[in-house]
Amino acid sequence: MPVEVILPKVDMDMETGTIEAWHVKEGDLVRQGDTIFEIGTNKAVMEVEAPATGAIRNITAETGVPISVGTPVAWIYLDGEAATTPSEPAAAAATVAAATPLPQAPIAHAAAMSLATSGLRATPLARRIARQNALDLKSVTGTGPRGRIGEKDVTAALILRSDPQDRVSKDVPGGSGASASILRDAAGAAPQDEGSGKKSCRQSEGRLQPFSAIRRIVASRLSESMRTAPHFYLTSEIEMTAARDLLGRLAKRHERIGAPKPSLTVLIARVAARILRDHPVINASAEGEATRFHARIDIGIAMERDGDLVVPVLRDAGAMDMPAMAREFARLRDGMAKRTLTPVELGGGTFTISNLGMYGVDSFTAIINPPQGAILAVGRTIDKPVGRDGQIVLRPMANFTLSSDHRIVDGVAAARFMADLREALENPEVLL
Amino acid sequence: MPSDTLEAVSEIRELSYAEAVREALGQAMEADERVFLFGEDVGVYGGAFGVSGDLVHRFGTERVIDTPISELGIAGAAVGAAITGMRPVLEIQFSDFVTLAMEQLVNQAAKIRFMFGGKASVPMVVRLPGGSGTGAAAQHSQSLEAWFAHVPGLKVLQPSTPHDAKGMLLAAIDDPNPVLIFEHKLLYKTKGHVPAEAYRVPIGQAAIRREGTDVTIVGSSIMARKAEAAAERLAADGISAEVIDLRSIRPIDFTTIAESVRKTHRLLVVYEGVKTMGIGAEISAMIAESEVFDFLDAPIIRLGGADSPIPYNPVLEKAAVPQEDDIVTAAANLVRRGEA
Repeated sequence: MPVEVILPKVDMDMETGTIEAWHVKEGDLVRQGDTIFEIGTNKAVMEVEAPATGAIRNITAETGVPISVGTPVAWIYLDGEAATTPSEPAAAAATVAAATPLPQAPIAHAAAMSLATSGLRATPLARRIARQNALDLKSVTGTGPRGRIGEKDVTAALILRSDPQDRVSKDVPGGSGASASILRDAAGAAPQDEGSGKKSCRQSEGRLQPFSAIRRIVASRLSESMRTAPHFYLTSEIEMTAARDLLGRLAKRHERIGAPKPSLTVLIARVAARILRDHPVINASAEGEATRFHARIDIGIAMERDGDLVVPVLRDAGAMDMPAMAREFARLRDGMAKRTLTPVELGGGTFTISNLGMYGVDSFTAIINPPQGAILAVGRTIDKPVGRDGQIVLRPMANFTLSSDHRIVDGVAAARFMADLREALENPEVLL
Repeated sequence: MPSDTLEAVSEIRELSYAEAVREALGQAMEADERVFLFGEDVGVYGGAFGVSGDLVHRFGTERVIDTPISELGIAGAAVGAAITGMRPVLEIQFSDFVTLAMEQLVNQAAKIRFMFGGKASVPMVVRLPGGSGTGAAAQHSQSLEAWFAHVPGLKVLQPSTPHDAKGMLLAAIDDPNPVLIFEHKLLYKTKGHVPAEAYRVPIGQAAIRREGTDVTIVGSSIMARKAEAAAERLAADGISAEVIDLRSIRPIDFTTIAESVRKTHRLLVVYEGVKTMGIGAEISAMIAESEVFDFLDAPIIRLGGADSPIPYNPVLEKAAVPQEDDIVTAAANLVRRGEA
C-alpha cells in the first residue's frame, strides 16, 4: 500500500497551510526522514519529513496555494510497489494516474472521476455544481472539515473564474440555462443572463480576492473574539516625559552592556509585565464559566509582516529584566522577518500589546486576541498642552486604551490596572 | 348562541394534549357505537396519565373497560374484537409494556389482512404513552416506535401537538388497519389550539412547522417541538432552519423531507429513540439513496437517544436524549462547519 503524504497540522489552531517549496519531484526516491517540502503556516515555515522510504508519486499540491490540513499532497510508493510500476515521464500526471493503480479509495470510482477529483473531499452538492459548470475541483480550495469542498467553495471559485466568455457549461449536459440557475441558486447572486448582464455586474463588484490562510485565521479568531467576549474600553492619556528620559538612559546602558537599544514598545511591555503581577485578573482568560488565572506572564506584541498580522510572544516576560527583554524582542523581530520562528513562539500569550504610535495614530481600540482577557492599544507620543501647577505647558503625551473581556474583568479592575500603568510610566521609580 | 359566536370560540379554544385525546375518544364513541376503550386503569381511575378522565361516567363500563394487568390479553382481545366488527382503542399504560403484547400486534394484527387475502381486517388503535423525562427510569421511559415502524401492516403515529393528537386519533379510528399512536408523556400537559368539531389529520403527511433555508431539522413527537424551539434560537443566531414534524413515521412522508433537503442542502434528524438502528438511520439512508443525495452539502447528522437504558438519575436522564441545546449546537455546527 503506498503511503499517503498529507499536509500536516504543525500548529494547534492551524486549518490550512501553504507548501512554500517542494524539495523533491515526481519519481524521486526519498528516505524516511528526508525533508520533502516546506510548509508555511500563518506563523512560520517548517520542514516536513518523508513518512516512509520510497518513490514520490502523484504530487498533487502546488506551491503557494493554501491547502487544508489533512489533504493528501503526494504518495510514497514503497520498494515493491515502485518495482511493479514502470517508470513514466514525470510530467504526464494524467498518464500516471491511468497506469498506476491509485492508492486507497479512488480505485473504486476511478472510472467515473478524473485524477483531478479522486483525492479530493467534496460534498455531493459541490461535485454536482462543479460538474454542471465544467469546473475542475482541483482548482478549488476546500474550507470545510479536513479540507472538504462545499457549495460555498465551488461558488466562490465560479465567481472567481474571471473570463465572462468562459465556456461556462457549453459542453455540459443540461446546457447553460441549467447551470446558470444552479450557479444562481448556489451563489445567491442572480445574474439575469449568461452574457452581458453578468459582465456589467462583475465590473461593479470589483476584485474578489479569497482570504489567504493567515487572513482566514485572523478573520475567524477575531470574529470569534468579538462574538463571545463582551469588550469594553478604558483610555488614559499618560505623560511620557519620564518614560522618554528612562529610554534615553537605558539606550546608553544597553550600548555599554551589548544589549539592543530598547524601543518604547519594549519599555511598555516591561512595565506591563511588572504591573500585571499585581493584576492577575488582567492576565487571565475566560474558560467556559470560569476564569483561568495564568501562572506566567507571556506578552504578545502585535506586529505586521507582509501585510499580515502576527503576534510573537515574549515568553515569561514577568521574569525578564530590561536587557533580557530587549534581546528577546530583537530575536523575535529578526526571526519573524526571516520566518524562522516556530508556531510556539507565535502563539499562546496571556496579554497583548499593540503599538500603532509609529504610524501617527493618536489612539485606537483593539480586539482582544482570544482567549486572552485584555489587550493594550498604544497611540503616538506627541507634545500637547497640559495644565501643570496652574500653567499651560507642553508635555509628551500618549493615549493607552485597554480592551477588556467583561466576562472576567470588571471596570474597576481594569481602571486599577490603568492607574498603575500611568503611575509606572510617569514615575518609573515605583517599579523599584 | 348564534353560530358565528360558536365559531369564534372554536378558533381561540385551547386544550391540553391529554384533553385533546380525550375529546377525540369521546367524539368517536358518540359517533360510532362500535368504538370502545379498554386498558389498565382507564375506567374509574381515569387513566394513569388522566387521559380517559370522565369517559367511564359518560359512556359506562361496557365501553370504557378496566382490564386485568395482561397486555397480551388486552391486545388479543382487541384483535378479536376488531376482526369481528368492533373498533377497539386500547391503551398500553406505559409504552414499555408493549413488549408483552408483541405477539398479538406483530404476528396477528399486522398480518391478518394479508394472510386472509383482504377478507378480514383489524381496525384497531393502540395508544402508547412513551418517552423519558418523568423520572420513571429504564422500564417506563423508552421510545420503542421504531420497532413497529419495521413491521409491514402497522401504522405508527407520533403526534406532537394537541391539534394533531385529536385529528390523528380520529383518523386512526377510521382507518381499517391497526394503528399505533405513541403519545409522549411530557406532551400531555402542553396546550394548543384544538377545534371543537371532529376533524381528521391525514395519516402519512408531515407538517412543515417552520420554513427555512440553511438546514432541515426532522423530528416527530416531542422532538418536533424541541426542534421548533431550537429553530427559534438558531434564527436569532442568523441560521434559518426548516423544521419538519413527521407526525407519522410509518407511512413516512419522504417527499416532504426530500423537497426540504433539496432546498437546504443539510439534514439533521432528531429522535428520542436509541440512535443506533433508529428512525434517523432510515431517514438518512432514504436521503442518501435518493436523487437528493446530489444536493447534500454536508454529511447527514443524526441526534438520537444514548445507547443506554434511560437512567433514573434526572441529570443523566436528560443527558440520555437530545435536548434543545443539543439541536441548536448540532444544527449550527452543521451549517457553519459542515459537521456535527
